[in-house]
Amino acid sequence: MRKIKEKVFNGKSKIENFFDQLRRSFAIAKKDLKIYYNKGPVVIQGIAFPIMLFLAFVVGRNITPIYIISGLTCMVLFLTSTSIGPVVFPWETRQKTLERLITCPISIKTILLGNVWSSFLFGCIFSVVPLILGMLVYGLWKSINILIVFLAIIIASFAFSSFSLILSVPPTDTPANTMILTILIKFPLIFVSPLFTPITLDPIVLISPLSYFLDLINAGLGKTSGFGEYGLLIDFGVLLIFGFFFLFLSFFLHGKMLQKRFKG
Amino acid sequence: MYQSDIIEVQNLSKHFDLLKAVDDITFSVEQGEIFGFLGPNGAGKTTTIRMLTGVLKPTSGIIKFYGQDAWKNQIAVKQIISNVPEMANAYLDLTGFQNLTFIGEIYGISRNERKKRADDLLKKFELYKRKDDLAKKYSKGMKQRLLLCMALMSNPKILFLDEPTSGLDVQSSIIIKNLIKQYNKDGMTIFLTTHNMDVANELCDRIAIINKGNLIRLDTPENLRAIEKKYQAIDLYPSEQLIISEVERLAGIEKVKKIKNYYHIIVDDLHEAMYQIIDYTKLKKINIKKLNTPEPTLEEVFVKIINSGEKN
Repeated sequence: MRKIKEKVFNGKSKIENFFDQLRRSFAIAKKDLKIYYNKGPVVIQGIAFPIMLFLAFVVGRNITPIYIISGLTCMVLFLTSTSIGPVVFPWETRQKTLERLITCPISIKTILLGNVWSSFLFGCIFSVVPLILGMLVYGLWKSINILIVFLAIIIASFAFSSFSLILSVPPTDTPANTMILTILIKFPLIFVSPLFTPITLDPIVLISPLSYFLDLINAGLGKTSGFGEYGLLIDFGVLLIFGFFFLFLSFFLHGKMLQKRFKG
Repeated sequence: MYQSDIIEVQNLSKHFDLLKAVDDITFSVEQGEIFGFLGPNGAGKTTTIRMLTGVLKPTSGIIKFYGQDAWKNQIAVKQIISNVPEMANAYLDLTGFQNLTFIGEIYGISRNERKKRADDLLKKFELYKRKDDLAKKYSKGMKQRLLLCMALMSNPKILFLDEPTSGLDVQSSIIIKNLIKQYNKDGMTIFLTTHNMDVANELCDRIAIINKGNLIRLDTPENLRAIEKKYQAIDLYPSEQLIISEVERLAGIEKVKKIKNYYHIIVDDLHEAMYQIIDYTKLKKINIKKLNTPEPTLEEVFVKIINSGEKN
């Protein structure tokens, strides 16, 4: 019996377990990308909404090319990187795949991290489209600071992806319910952000994490930061804090809510 | 704990607010056995399996796998077990093959090995020809076989099956039952929940009967069958209608049910009931056309045990 026990519970160090779980979170991300990229709520929120909002904000207004591209990039990244996260848990609960997944040797944190990776990649890939468009149509390649834009997209995509996990905390099996909640939270954040205009230090602007990403993209496309001399550091700092705060908060809340999903 | 017990459950309870879904149950599962967990719908079977597989945290009690606390060693325990939940589904937007390789990746199986295992399992479960079809195009029986393949990808030491043949066609049901027997023969311990006494009787080495969250009996099928003999019945074909309430008042008789042209009489004491029925029909001048004493169905015995609420 002891031999079986030793063989069965082949002891791994904490670091080995950490990397095991990290690798497994990539498997979750691959699965999410394969399954959810063409799901209705993801397509509507990730592709249709940015186009519609862009037309609503820009058409008929005299806006400089940098603000058009930074505003569009910001909106696309925010909406795409937050489109998969809220859908996965209710969708998997409804499809009855979540229970099977939970009984696999992965923690809830691994599942959530996998969701973050997939949302992160989705956001990164789609946000490059308006940037390429800007470079080709408006010649922004002359003024672009690739490093700032690259880091901004990476960090913001992580931050918004983590944020999106919170939106799927309510233990529902109806994706439409979380989509309503998502719209109620995401749209006000878009509306209070100074998209397609210069950054102002209005308190309501500072509430939205999009404002900090927008400031970074503006700076990356040749404008100066709207938050002063240390503006870029502030932008990166706020986005990182925002991302990690929501990541750990989602670990905690989903851990609690998981029990309610399988109640009775 | 016996040397061969690999699952130990001690005083396990799960309460959902005021509802006691599982109430203080204790049992153990031995290495290499098929352990049946039998009970009517809502008895607490699924809640128990969810606690054993780490989905639900027990309100109180202990679950040990190989002597290790299951809740404290969740990842290590989950690495050696596998589960097919009752209402589970494969990923319908992935192919059969992708479903298996995904599970293989989650269990940390190397790329080549998971492809090999996936192919082997798909062949064994007669799904290989459809391996590149999306799971949503599979029939219900094929989906259930795919779920079993997913559960077997990791070569688990303990396999949990929640109602594995429920709602399946006869062919799929037979394939699954045969494979369960075969994997068990190869050394896999199987924990099976079902509300079907025949499935439990055919597959299980021991059967635990649970009702309203309480474990009311745990025994081998042979011993349970011996208990069944207590619960006998008489099929009576009279020449005229009987008054059921009167017959039910006779000594040795528990319940009377009219079925087409005969009466199915469940009895406590067969001999006493026979005498009483003969006396009663003589008194009422009713002829007995035919009288059988059929063996009770397993279903009847199960209901009887459940209703009697006997505690082990």
